[in-house]
Amino acid sequence: MDEKLKAIYQCIVEGDNNGVQEHVRAALESGMDAGTILNEGLIAGMAEVGRLFEEGEYFVPEMLISARAMKSAMAILKPHLTSEQVGFAGRVAIGTVKGDLHDIGKNLVGLMLEGAGFQVIDLGSDVAPEKFVEAAKNNDVDIVAMSALLTTTMVNMKSTIAALEEAGVREKVKVMIGGAPVTEAYARQIGADGYAPDASRAVALAKSLLS
Amino acid sequence: MSNSSHRPHGKELLLAALRHEAPGAIPWVPFAGVHAGKLRGFSALEVLQQPEKLLEALLAVNELYDPDGQPVLFDLQVEAEILGCELAWAPFAPPSVVSHPLETRLELPKHLPEPDEGRLPMILETMRKMKEMVGEKTALYGLICGPMTLASHLRGTEIFMDTFDHPDFLEGLIGYCRDVNLRMAELYHQAGMDVIAVVDPVVSQVSPRHFKQYLLKPFTEVFRAIRQMGAYSSFFVCGDATKNLEWMCQTAPDSISVDENIHLPTAREITERYNIVIGGNIPLTTCMLLGTQQDNMKYVVDLLERLGAIDGIDTFKNFILAPGCDMPYDTPVENTVAVVQAVRDPATTRRMLANYESHTFDLEVTLPDYSRLEKPLVEVFTLDSDTCAACGYMLSAARRAVESLNGQVDLVEYKFTRPENVARIKKMGVKNLPSLYINGELKYSSIIPGNRELLEAIRQVMR
Repeated sequence: MDEKLKAIYQCIVEGDNNGVQEHVRAALESGMDAGTILNEGLIAGMAEVGRLFEEGEYFVPEMLISARAMKSAMAILKPHLTSEQVGFAGRVAIGTVKGDLHDIGKNLVGLMLEGAGFQVIDLGSDVAPEKFVEAAKNNDVDIVAMSALLTTTMVNMKSTIAALEEAGVREKVKVMIGGAPVTEAYARQIGADGYAPDASRAVALAKSLLS
Repeated sequence: MSNSSHRPHGKELLLAALRHEAPGAIPWVPFAGVHAGKLRGFSALEVLQQPEKLLEALLAVNELYDPDGQPVLFDLQVEAEILGCELAWAPFAPPSVVSHPLETRLELPKHLPEPDEGRLPMILETMRKMKEMVGEKTALYGLICGPMTLASHLRGTEIFMDTFDHPDFLEGLIGYCRDVNLRMAELYHQAGMDVIAVVDPVVSQVSPRHFKQYLLKPFTEVFRAIRQMGAYSSFFVCGDATKNLEWMCQTAPDSISVDENIHLPTAREITERYNIVIGGNIPLTTCMLLGTQQDNMKYVVDLLERLGAIDGIDTFKNFILAPGCDMPYDTPVENTVAVVQAVRDPATTRRMLANYESHTFDLEVTLPDYSRLEKPLVEVFTLDSDTCAACGYMLSAARRAVESLNGQVDLVEYKFTRPENVARIKKMGVKNLPSLYINGELKYSSIIPGNRELLEAIRQVMR
């Protein structure tokens, strides 16, 4: 790998916010293609962060600082990217379900999806089924992603799926779910298309749902 | 219950386990927080705010689930509320923190909770009453919010960035939270709590490196202080904290409690090296909330078998059976009753499950012709009324009512321990145990009827 790309990749993996900005600027000044910086530096770095999280090497703090570095780097890189280079893996509307205010997991999944080239519409926390429906209807969404931490709110995943069906948009979108009390079996039971146990595997799931 | 008289039971059993003895039985601690309310039809708001309802619900848990140890209140937001976090209340779950006073300021608070602040008056009052009413037979747990989780309540998700961006501030903030822990432990111990549990779910979200850097010292100091007070300590964690277990052991609590994200037999290999009791880890949703009675008995029996606790019970030590974390509000009562049966008599339960699962099982049973009975017939289906407290209560309620009717009504008990009864239970379509049927119709399941209510139900078929 090119030394400049290696440095960018390493800054993302280590969450070095200042370092990544310097190296991206330097790479652009040297005439390196913005698409290459994005794919081989930043996105590859975030994929490694995801892998380390999945393996139990990285935890929430490590992932958050890497996501912050990714975001700063993207702000510098974006004006240099052509529309094809921006890359578009799909559009995801994400939120915690009605009654649930615990959004750390949801935020991590959103950050990782963005890092992997998805456009993320963050509906926030405590999101009513109608709000998911509205987002699915009006934004040409590919995936509706729901999170719940509480055993008492996870049932609202089922009512959101019912609301999507009622509004006639269930067939248009894939539904993925996650959160501490949620399981693969529960996803099947309520008619979701998939379940992921963590942010890294949520990215893999989103990609496979759209492939 | 008849068997319990010659087996160690209750507080005696739990404290023996915490002293790392081999007490000859497995202690059981149901984490019935908001779920306690369900037993009396109270919402989470009612049991977490109203002392008389909390007490009534806790006594129901004590009666029905026959615990050796029991938490008084399971709510990690008590301290945060006192320290200025706003809470959003939910009808069937503990409240959530919605505002974080330190979200935008790097300031260290100084104020420590006083016994007249927030919900402490009602909590301390309930602790004292529980101590008075059941404290002789049941060990009582006071739960405090651990330093990392409390710091995250005060600071919000910025806390995770602080591990890298503001290490000195974070160390100071966690030090303050340790002081809050020490104050709370003291108040709860004075109110009669035998075990102080430091509950810190956020611990599973940080790396071993950060645990060592920020948490090793404050947790060690808290557990040392609890021991000096004369109480036992427990370190509760939720989520996959496998990688931090070794460091958690080095903080030297008397016990650690984990959920289903941690493989308990593997974790026990670590805790055994430190001679620390490990507790857990019945899965909250797949098993307790959504599973059947058989699923719950099977989980417990399989777990005890893997740990070597059924056949080697005489020398088995350092384990407490408990749910993974705070039980979901809507956990079916009969599922917990099944857990009690399994832990009180795992060997018999193992045979019961084998009978139930046996496909070749083909015993002929003839059900009574319920339309042509000479006398009304009360049938009580139990797991085993000698070991399962709820089953014993159901049978006693039936006996009392039937005896008062002076031979006008027949009563029969069918225990799940006998193969022919398993066949009968299947044929009758009995879903949950204990259940009470009158003339072949299901009248009560898991919840024990009052005498007057049951007599009225029997009299209705006598008319």
